[in-house]
Amino acid sequence: MNNNILYIEDNPDNMRLVQRALESRGYRLLQAKNGLDGIHTAETEQVDLILLDINLPDIDGYEVARRLRSSHKRELNSIPIIAVTANALKGDAERALEAGCDVYMSKPINIRELWARVEAFVPTP
Amino acid sequence: MFPLHKNDRDKLKRQQHACQSNAHVSAESMSLSFLSYLECSGCGENYNYAELNTFCPICQSPLLSRYDLESARQHIDRDAVTRRKKGMWRWLELLPVLNRENQIFLGEGDTPLLSLPHLEKELRLSNLYVKDESSNPTGSFKARGLAVAISKAKELGVDKVIIPTAGNAGGALAAYAARAGLRAHIYMPKDTPFANIEESRMAGADVTLVDGLISDAAGMAGEKARTEGWFDVSTFKEPYRVEGKKIMGYELAEAFDWQLPDVIIYPTGGGTGLVGMWKAFDELETLGWLENTKKPRMVSVQADGCAPVVKAFNEGASFCDFWINAHTIASGLRVPKSFADHLILQDIYDSQGTAIAVSDESILESQHQLAAMEGIFAAPEGAATLAALKELIQQGWVHPEENIVLFNTGSGLKYLDYPTQ
Repeated sequence: MNNNILYIEDNPDNMRLVQRALESRGYRLLQAKNGLDGIHTAETEQVDLILLDINLPDIDGYEVARRLRSSHKRELNSIPIIAVTANALKGDAERALEAGCDVYMSKPINIRELWARVEAFVPTP
Repeated sequence: MFPLHKNDRDKLKRQQHACQSNAHVSAESMSLSFLSYLECSGCGENYNYAELNTFCPICQSPLLSRYDLESARQHIDRDAVTRRKKGMWRWLELLPVLNRENQIFLGEGDTPLLSLPHLEKELRLSNLYVKDESSNPTGSFKARGLAVAISKAKELGVDKVIIPTAGNAGGALAAYAARAGLRAHIYMPKDTPFANIEESRMAGADVTLVDGLISDAAGMAGEKARTEGWFDVSTFKEPYRVEGKKIMGYELAEAFDWQLPDVIIYPTGGGTGLVGMWKAFDELETLGWLENTKKPRMVSVQADGCAPVVKAFNEGASFCDFWINAHTIASGLRVPKSFADHLILQDIYDSQGTAIAVSDESILESQHQLAAMEGIFAAPEGAATLAALKELIQQGWVHPEENIVLFNTGSGLKYLDYPTQ
């Protein structure tokens, strides 16, 4: 494992918060500001886990998850995906899991929980 | 809102100690609270209580109020508090509101601790009680937390408050906001009990009915708060509701002659009461007010249609997974994931307690039993604690001679649009 975490998120505040939190634990954070960039990064870089915001400016997180699960890059078919949303819409959690995410977290992101969730898939470096 | 640097923190504490040492002298002086600072329950960072705070910006965990309990120990006479005029605010030194004029009082607190003689006989127990919170203003325990949160919000200059709710918190917020002269906006699931919707509207709050659960309501309320500057008083997203709830713990200690019961069985949605009472027991111990420091085993009760705490407890986890497709007649228990889940779980673990899920059928049966045998028309959430007790007896988890306290968190009268047995 390379301890690379990809975070697909358009909100810079959330991005900074998660970057600080994960880098403090020795992870390397790859960043994408929209869904298509996120898929591109996942397909071209070595990634161990994906944090996926649902409300993205281009395609939504559900579609991102579905495309990752059917990607030609076979590692992405089973890569851990943690959905992170503000759960502003009914059924976000159900839809995220149906789309192929492994875990659902709601915002605000509790950093201790984030560490626990990430470490469950990618042990602390 | 920024964390305090250590030097500032120490300076602030010294100033506050000085203020408080003077403050205790006269019962009529402006600030009697021994509030010292706010502490993040996750990373331990400290924050200034004189500023408007939500949750920790560093790790996004709830903030808890910390008091100068050493000074409080020296200056507060436990028995004098008992002799004061009844009501939650008689514990004012251990509440975060600094000025009496900001206390919004509608009669909350000092709810009865009732024995349950017929159920004792039926269940072969010796010391069974219910702390009946239905006599609080707006008919539920939510009044305690929102009395403090709204009072403190007023003290800090807030003029409009917003809340997502499964029901009773909305009614309580509306009432206290009305009394305080604050605007209120409430987001609640569209199938929330009618009484909660009507009492909120009657008190002048704007009510938005949401096609979803409290978690969906929370997302919408949070968005409105961010974009329009409303102060969000969601469970544990501000530091003070838990302070009102903790007084249930102080009242219990007082009622048991400054000892604590062996078992507390508590319905858990957002978990403010459970966390608050455990905090109270810690504070009571530090204050030296307990005759016996043995603490209760805390039992978290949820409905089997929404039991994230029970699932996490059974897995030994530190956090809850979001509960998919939450459903139960006990609307207050329909919380797919509490913002303070790690605190709830930690307190259950620390108390050597347990977590248990009960069916809607057993809740309804217990609701009927409480009413028919003891004359208490409990909210379904309160009835769930009796259903849980019966399970715990079967498991041999409680002993017949133990002091056991059930919590009825509200009046059954607010749920008349739900089926009853």
